[in-house]
Amino acid sequence: MRKAFFLLAFAVAASAAQAQILPFLSKRGPAQPVVQGIDALRAEFAAQAGGTTVYYGAGSSILGAPAKAVLTAQAGWIRRHPEVVVRVEGYGDSGDTRDHALAVGARRAEEARDYLVLLGVPAAQVSTTTWGNERSGLGRSVTVLVR
Amino acid sequence: MPRRLTTSPAVDTDPSFSPDGRKIVFESDRSGSQQLYVMNADGSGERRISFGAGGYAAPEWSPDGQWIAFTSRGQYGRRIGIVRPDGTDERYLTNGPADESPTWAASSREIMFARLGQGGRSNLYRVTLGSGEAQQVTIPQDGSDPDWSGAVD
Repeated sequence: MRKAFFLLAFAVAASAAQAQILPFLSKRGPAQPVVQGIDALRAEFAAQAGGTTVYYGAGSSILGAPAKAVLTAQAGWIRRHPEVVVRVEGYGDSGDTRDHALAVGARRAEEARDYLVLLGVPAAQVSTTTWGNERSGLGRSVTVLVR
Repeated sequence: MPRRLTTSPAVDTDPSFSPDGRKIVFESDRSGSQQLYVMNADGSGERRISFGAGGYAAPEWSPDGQWIAFTSRGQYGRRIGIVRPDGTDERYLTNGPADESPTWAASSREIMFARLGQGGRSNLYRVTLGSGEAQQVTIPQDGSDPDWSGAVD
């Protein structure tokens, strides 16, 4: 009986190969639903994606090689977790005037979002926002927040 | 119904209407650095009016239409300047290094702005166009983003 169940589960998983739910099924299995708190998910994301933050050059929204490496790892994790959505939060440079910082933060967030989507993350899973330089301490970056 | 007025892929932001409502000044980094541009209110006739090193940001048209105040960004930090709407007669009213958010008195003779002091605390200052040092405005706590009312003071 148990064997039959696993065979059935395998068949379901195989037939779902095209769908996004496959990683979810194969990782945890349908018989053992794991309820993970948002804090645990965020910690796992930060640990497995090589960090939540991606940095840019001054005034720039161009993704460099280190930024792309982090986003690639993030995209892999997000694709394995279709149950979560993420918000890409952009920041301006600390010396920017307010409106310019908000605009640059938005542009940086959109660049990072577009790169995640390019790597196969469903667009519906990723939203963007900008903080400009309204929060001290962070700048020239985007932070990907699991929600 | 909102209507898009500029089409560059750059950051075009922080617009300010001329008092007669016929023109708009805004900042754009389309040239590679932030500079000031004036266009007609329908988006036509864009013209760049600033050409200095560093950047020009956050323009504010004076109530009498004669000046545009801006925040200058450069190696000295941020300071407040003014320029004629045709780009001539550029001059600086403060020495920085962390001044921003200029707003005009209704008289068009004075500007209030925010200055970030030691320890990261922001306060409000006012400076007269003619001459003189900026004077701190006494307010109960820290202050930023001043916006002067239209009443003549």
